[in-house]
Parts: sequence; structure tokens; C-alpha cells
Amino acid sequence: MSLLEVDRIDAYYGQSHILRDLSLEIEDGEVCALLGRNGAGKTTTLRCVAGATPPDVRSGEIRFDGDEVVGRETEDVSISGIGLVPEERRIFPNLTVEENLHLAEVSRNSSNLIGRNLSQVSETRPLREIYDAFPRLDDRQNQMAGTLSGGEQQMLAIARALRQNPRLLMLDEPYEGLAPQIIEDVEDAIRRISEEGTTVLLVEQNAAAAIKIAERCYIVDQGEIVYEGPSEELRADEETRQRYLGV
Amino acid sequence: MVLETAIEILLNGLQQGAIFALLGIGLSVILGTMDFLNLAHGALYLIGGYAGMYFIRETSLSAGYLNSIGVDAIGLGLGFAAAMILVPVFGFIVGLLMERYVAEPFYDRPETDQLLVTFGLALIVQEVIKGMLGGNTFQPTAPTTLFGINVGGPVMLPIIGNYPQWRLYLVGIALFVIGLTYLVIEKTDFGLVVQAGTHDSEMVRMLGIRINRSYSLVFAMGAALAAFAGLIGVSFQTVSPQIGTERALIPAFLVLVVGGAGSVIGAIFGGFVLGITVAGMTVLASQWAQIVLYAVAAGVLLFRPEGLFGSKGVVE
Repeated sequence: MSLLEVDRIDAYYGQSHILRDLSLEIEDGEVCALLGRNGAGKTTTLRCVAGATPPDVRSGEIRFDGDEVVGRETEDVSISGIGLVPEERRIFPNLTVEENLHLAEVSRNSSNLIGRNLSQVSETRPLREIYDAFPRLDDRQNQMAGTLSGGEQQMLAIARALRQNPRLLMLDEPYEGLAPQIIEDVEDAIRRISEEGTTVLLVEQNAAAAIKIAERCYIVDQGEIVYEGPSEELRADEETRQRYLGV
Repeated sequence: MVLETAIEILLNGLQQGAIFALLGIGLSVILGTMDFLNLAHGALYLIGGYAGMYFIRETSLSAGYLNSIGVDAIGLGLGFAAAMILVPVFGFIVGLLMERYVAEPFYDRPETDQLLVTFGLALIVQEVIKGMLGGNTFQPTAPTTLFGINVGGPVMLPIIGNYPQWRLYLVGIALFVIGLTYLVIEKTDFGLVVQAGTHDSEMVRMLGIRINRSYSLVFAMGAALAAFAGLIGVSFQTVSPQIGTERALIPAFLVLVVGGAGSVIGAIFGGFVLGITVAGMTVLASQWAQIVLYAVAAGVLLFRPEGLFGSKGVVE
């Protein structure tokens, strides 16, 4: 059984039909990339997996570790082991770095968990481990997150998701707007996360960047999966890249 | 003479400002976290005022229920002190019910629907009170003793001379409650969720937090503060069914505009700025007092639409 199974979903934003009969599977422990042009449906796919609304999933199933995701509240999906590093990072600028990282801990408070139908709630990852992995954040513990540089904010968004100790980490265009040196740092971080056993789903427009760290790629175009294969194969297949990604 | 007037303005402004701040905190945090504009917030002030008068009467020495069962015989004069506990508790419960049955079904509805339903509720509360108790104006009922301490009568202050002692206690009590609220928001996990929620509530949920629970609590807390403001108001201002809109809802909105949506510190700051402004204008040119309040708010809107401490625009 795959860790994540997206099985023939159709998703809508209001009247607009965004995802059409889309299926994909992520195996436990792999790094997989979901590629596609702007507006192809990448972020929508991630939002469906995260249990966020909108979009509205009208048919099909999404199973994470065998449990159905569609119809569950996004906070329940998250706590069952899916971490998201969203587009635009969405850190809390009015909180300090430490407070941003503390929210995962708050989610494990009994006042938050009681009365919810949750099959498994993992322990959070210790703060020390997070700071060891991201020393820049360690130096800025008490700084307001809104005053961090773009690269540091991206690190914080990743660290915040990791603090939840997810089994599947989804990153939505994590390199966007970052300087080349910082991009390397983010790549290193993703590699390390993968080596520690976390499954990674990376969403990217830039095929070259994704192929560098992903083992397997999907391409989504106009809401449909149009390609699936190992990264090596996609690297060699110029025609497919040209047609669906324009590179 | 100038100094005398200035101190008097400052003291009156602190009293009025404390009420504005107590009202503004709830309205602002509810808007910030839930994107819910509660036009019935003033009704909570109104309820707090009337509930306050009721509790003061029923728990005081010379009349009321406790008197009828002979409590005064053992020398237990509660009055205002009991109301200080009971009114916020009552407001909290009303807030919980209001969130559950009025606000929550409208979270996903358009803003105009939210405005209509809450304004309708405000009118209903006002008319029910008028229907039950009449449209009479009640005189302020300041306590003379509180927890065994004498708080009534005048006190001799330097420069300005005699001043009603209770007014000073009132400012102290209000500041204590405001400070407590600030600490809850700044220092507790609940407050952390609220602060994060004012910025991006979906992201908070994506970290596994069921933010709806904090919503109920925020709403109830805001209601308790508004009701408490109503009780404070009873002790130095007249009470009539119109005060919910005139003396609570409109000022609370102006506080929101000045301080910014979702900011507790903004509501406190905005409350005191407007309170001192209105107190000053009342002394200097009372016919302009209300207009100047709007002018201050309009000025803030022009130059800083998100408010002085807000993270997002009130009008979005």
C-alpha cells in the first residue's frame, strides 16, 4: 500500500472544474515531484490532500496511510501526519520564530485534541532538533517572523511543518523568490529531511530544480496527470518537458 | 487653571477610554480571527448594564432577594462586588450562546448577511429591554463600599481638589481587567492561537489546531468584557435602552478603525486615545465632541487604512 493514494478525484472551485480524474501515488520514503505550469492544478492538488476547502472534491478518493481524507477537517488531516509548506510560506509575521514553532506543540494540548476522532497523533519533533537543523533560526528565536529575510522565512515555514513530525511533507514551490545560494540551502534541507525517513512531495514549476532531488515525477496539465516516470527518464525526454513545461 | 482642566480631562478620559478599550478588544479580536463583524457587540454592553443593575439590587443589603432571606442580618452586603463577578460570567454565557446560534451559522455567509443578522439582534435586545422595563433612564449607581473598602464620597486630590473617589477605583479596576486580558492574549497558548488566527486562520488549522474552539472562547471573552464595560458604565453614567448603540457600538467601531482589526494592544491604545479626545472636547467644545471622534477615525482611515496596530485593512 502506498503512503498516499489519490484516486481519480474531480475537484472544483465554485463552478470551475479544476482537477479532472486525477490520480497519483506516493510511496513511503520517496521524494516525488509534481510538475506543471502555472495554473495547471498543482496547488489545488496539494490543498485536496491537505483536506483544505475550497476546493470541493466531488468525486474520487484520497487515502493517507489507508484512511480517507476527503470530507475530514483540515486540522484532523494535518495531525494525522501530513505537513504542508504552503506557497508564499504563510508564516505568522506577528509572532516570534519560537512562537511560530510552538504552535505545533499547542496542537497536542489535550484541550485541542479532546473529543476529536483521531486515530493517531505523533509526538512533535523536539525544538532542539529543529534548531540544530536550522541554525539561522536558532539565532533568531525571539525575532518577529515578519522581519526575517525571504530565505529565513522559507526555512521557518519548513521548520514549522517539520515540528509537527509529519510522515508526508508537502512543499509548494519552496524555491520561489529565493537567491541561488539560499535555494541550495533549501535543497540541502529537503535532502536531509528525506534521509531521515520523511516522505516528500515537492510541487514545482521548474523541472530542472525538481529533477535534482526527486526520484520520480508527475506532470499535471489542465487538471490532468499527463506524465509519470522516474526523474532520469524525464531528464532525457525533452519533448515531454517542452510540451507540458515549456523548457 | 489650565493644569487643573488638563488633569480633569485626563481622569475623565481614562474612565471613558477604559470602557471604549474593553468594548474594542472584543469587537476587534472577533473581527480579526473570525472575519465576523458583530453589530450586536453594543447589545452586550446594554445587557451588561441592565444585568449589572439587577445583580447590584438583588445582592445588596437594603433590598432584593438576599435581603428577603435575611442575609443582611449577617452583614453580607455584596452589591457591586457580586455584580463584578456575575456580570462577566453572564456575559460569557450569552456570548457562548450567541456564537453558537447566531454567529457560527453565518461564518461562511457574505458580510452583508452577517451585518443584517447581528444588527437585527441588537435591535431585538434593545426592544425587549424597552418592552420589559420601559424606556426609562436610570441614574448611575456607584457603590460606596467594595470588598469592605470605602470607595464612595469625595477624595481630596492635589491641584484639582475634591474628586469622586469611586471614579479613581473604576479606572484602576478597568485597567486591571484590561491588563489581565492582555496577559491572556500574550502569554497563553490560547492567546497564541488567537494571534496567529487573526493573521491566517486556515494556516493555524493546517498545523492541526481546531481553531473553532478558540473562536467560541474568543467570542465569549469579548462578550464578557463588553458586559463588564456595561457594568462599569452603570456606575457613573445613566442607563437607557439606547446606550447599546450610542455609547457602545459606535465608539467600539471607531476604536476598531483607529487600533486596527485583530490587535488587542491597538484596541487598548485606540480606546484611550478616543476616550481622552472625547473628554477633552466635552470640556472645550462639547457640541463638537462626537464629530471629532469621527474625524480622528477618518484621519486614521486616510493615512493608515489598516489601523495603527492592525495587520490587515478593516475595509477589504
